Amino acid sequence: MPHPDTLDRLVREIATQVRWRRAEHYGLRGLFWGAVAAVVPLLFRLALGPWALALAIALLTAGVVTGALFGLLKRVSPADAARLADREFGLDERLSTALEWAERDDRTQLVDALVVDAVARVEAVQLRQVVRRILPRETRLLPVPVVLAAILAWAPPLPLPTASLPDFSAGAQKEEARERGDGTMLEDRARPLAKDKQQRPVFEERDWAQKGATGAAATAGDLSAVFKDTSLANQRPDFNSFLKKGDERLKMLEQTDRLPDLQSDFTSSQYKMVFRKSKELKSGLRDTVSPQKLKELLEEMERLGRKSGGGWGQDVSEGMEALEGGSTDRAMEAMQKALDKMRAQDEAQRGGKGLRGGRESDRRSGREGGRGEGSPEDQDFGEGEGMMPGKGKSGAPKGEASQRLRANPYDVGVEGESRRGKKDGFDTNLTGRAGKMSSRLSYMGIIGQYKNAMEDAISREQIPRDFHGQIRDYFQALDER
Amino acid sequence: MTQDPRVEQFISSFQALRREVEKVIVGHRDIIDHVLIGMFAGGHVLLEGVPGLGKTLLIKTLAEGLELSFARVQFTPDLMPADIIGTNIIVEDADGRKHFQFQSGPIFAHILLADEINRATPKTQSALLEGMQEGAVTVGGVSRPLPPPFFVLATQNPIEMEGTYPLPEAQLDRFLFKLRVRYPAIEELNAIIDRTTQVRAVTVDRVMTGPNVLASRELVREVPIATHTRDFASAIVMATHPQWAQAPDVTRRFVRYGASPRGAQALVLGAKVKALAEGRYNVSVDDIRYLAAPALRHRVILNFEGEAEGIDVDTLIEQIVDTAATTTTQGKEQFVR
Repeated sequence: MPHPDTLDRLVREIATQVRWRRAEHYGLRGLFWGAVAAVVPLLFRLALGPWALALAIALLTAGVVTGALFGLLKRVSPADAARLADREFGLDERLSTALEWAERDDRTQLVDALVVDAVARVEAVQLRQVVRRILPRETRLLPVPVVLAAILAWAPPLPLPTASLPDFSAGAQKEEARERGDGTMLEDRARPLAKDKQQRPVFEERDWAQKGATGAAATAGDLSAVFKDTSLANQRPDFNSFLKKGDERLKMLEQTDRLPDLQSDFTSSQYKMVFRKSKELKSGLRDTVSPQKLKELLEEMERLGRKSGGGWGQDVSEGMEALEGGSTDRAMEAMQKALDKMRAQDEAQRGGKGLRGGRESDRRSGREGGRGEGSPEDQDFGEGEGMMPGKGKSGAPKGEASQRLRANPYDVGVEGESRRGKKDGFDTNLTGRAGKMSSRLSYMGIIGQYKNAMEDAISREQIPRDFHGQIRDYFQALDER
Repeated sequence: MTQDPRVEQFISSFQALRREVEKVIVGHRDIIDHVLIGMFAGGHVLLEGVPGLGKTLLIKTLAEGLELSFARVQFTPDLMPADIIGTNIIVEDADGRKHFQFQSGPIFAHILLADEINRATPKTQSALLEGMQEGAVTVGGVSRPLPPPFFVLATQNPIEMEGTYPLPEAQLDRFLFKLRVRYPAIEELNAIIDRTTQVRAVTVDRVMTGPNVLASRELVREVPIATHTRDFASAIVMATHPQWAQAPDVTRRFVRYGASPRGAQALVLGAKVKALAEGRYNVSVDDIRYLAAPALRHRVILNFEGEAEGIDVDTLIEQIVDTAATTTTQGKEQFVR
């Protein structure tokens, strides 16, 4: 289906408008550069005579004409013109779509209807100037060369500079010396002064690097000779190594461009940063926990909570209160609770698609918050799986037990036999020397962890409220012992 | 002014359907239009809004306006995939021989309302995946086609997140549009009160049949789109990707994952329906703009910073569309210089 003439006519009209606007645009640019060029012959008007003005006018005209012609002749894509018409006449892409699809082989019946529709719309269009004028940047500076050229044209011609290049020829020098009168003075000047023996001719001083002179050749008071005595005198300046060092320094400067992406780290694991800080805080002994650092951490957690709407604000407030009351332990416990909630929320938001809240989520967050990241003990094994020999989840072959245990008498071995019954089981005993030895644990170190676990359990599990006090009393009693 | 009788029929059906829905639903003109656009584009629509805004009523009314079978599934945490798809049951024939017989689930309807879809487990949510994408479900190794036209309309509540399972990205991507049902204005609220608290039975007429819907879907695909308009849609989708070289700063800063090619398909198909519904035979740049938010808001995933800063995805998409417009449709017109 050929383009209907109506559509093509509108496109041609718009293309013409574009060309004229371009002619204006590039003509103005040409005027500017032509005016700049016209200043040059006007500067040399004295030398060029009446040709200067003619040349200036010619340059100015050439700039304008060249620019305008360039703008006029520059190709205007029909698709671009159609798109411009669509937008300016509110045709909703009818014109551009119709022009594009009218000649396509895969056009549908709707395309024919589109072309008819587009023609009807275009015929109803009131043609007007739709291409806005775009002035080039040079327009703002245009008055400068134009005014300058005008001034130069009206003002009397500028005198040409008369300065000539100095004549360095030998004849000229002699002539100059003769003009000054005394020939002997020239010889005296060429000869070094008797009282100034240290002063060596320039060409000798330049030769210091080539001559490996020693102190024997040095003359008293001769500074260059003294310099020759040094070991450095034998060395040529190593510009290559200097440049190389320079390159290395530049590379070091470039390192600043490769600073670690703190922003990315921060955004990807803001919670983890808080966890890390809390871990650093807890790594020391309890007594050495800095209340100031703890307070800063709690404040940061509070800020995070406000930002993301986390539900640990209450815990953080409790921690702050406890800290103000001087109870670091309670503050630490409150911080731990807040951390657990943060971790749960972070997991739910970023990775977890599981149940938000609810018992499952609590159990998971409680497990992770209580024990840290993924130790094998954390895994839940189904009944009859996991730790039972030969029934693990892994499909890898188990093979024979390592003989290493027998090699060291202090190694602990495990022996046992299966017990049949309602549920399969194993009775196990420790073997080896270490199995007979008593084990020791740092009581005071462990009891704190158990107390934390107890508090977690009370807050998470469904323990009757009446028993809470009793459980706490029990652990308090252990602590006092 | 239209010349093609199919287009005229499409426009009249579209407007009639909208009229029938508006008999019951007050306001929400954009939501109704988007749902209809989604249906004629052959996609599925997810409606998100707080309870009581009429999401379910809208879908039920739409189903009443179409001569199509309708099924509603209330999603709950204990709902199982077999409750949606169906299952093989053992039946005994007259000779006493037992054999399996497929008992079809509610998914074998033309219009499926998945009410509060995020209350079911991901396993159950995923039971819809195959049906939504392929138009068929597989049970016991046998693939069973769903009756065309098949159209899923799901609702979810954004505030009661306790005990819900957010839809997986793969599931979200299957929805052509995600619509946010907003609270009505006071005039609309007054109209709702008047309409729902008086003794006046509203009857919704059936204005369209299944074959009509299928024919309309075929017609929609015939609508031509200009190259620069298609480029605009592609530029919008690409601009949602932070890895793209020309992605705007706002994307690089706040977006983790951008929209998939399905997003671009949704944009263009939806724009074609909108163009036809307005009696136009071609897609315009404004059609693409109009559908950018519903087609992309569930496909753009914010990063931590975006979530922490409380960035609204719709605002983000608006900025992305503006940037894409500068680099494509308008930017190229610098040729005037």
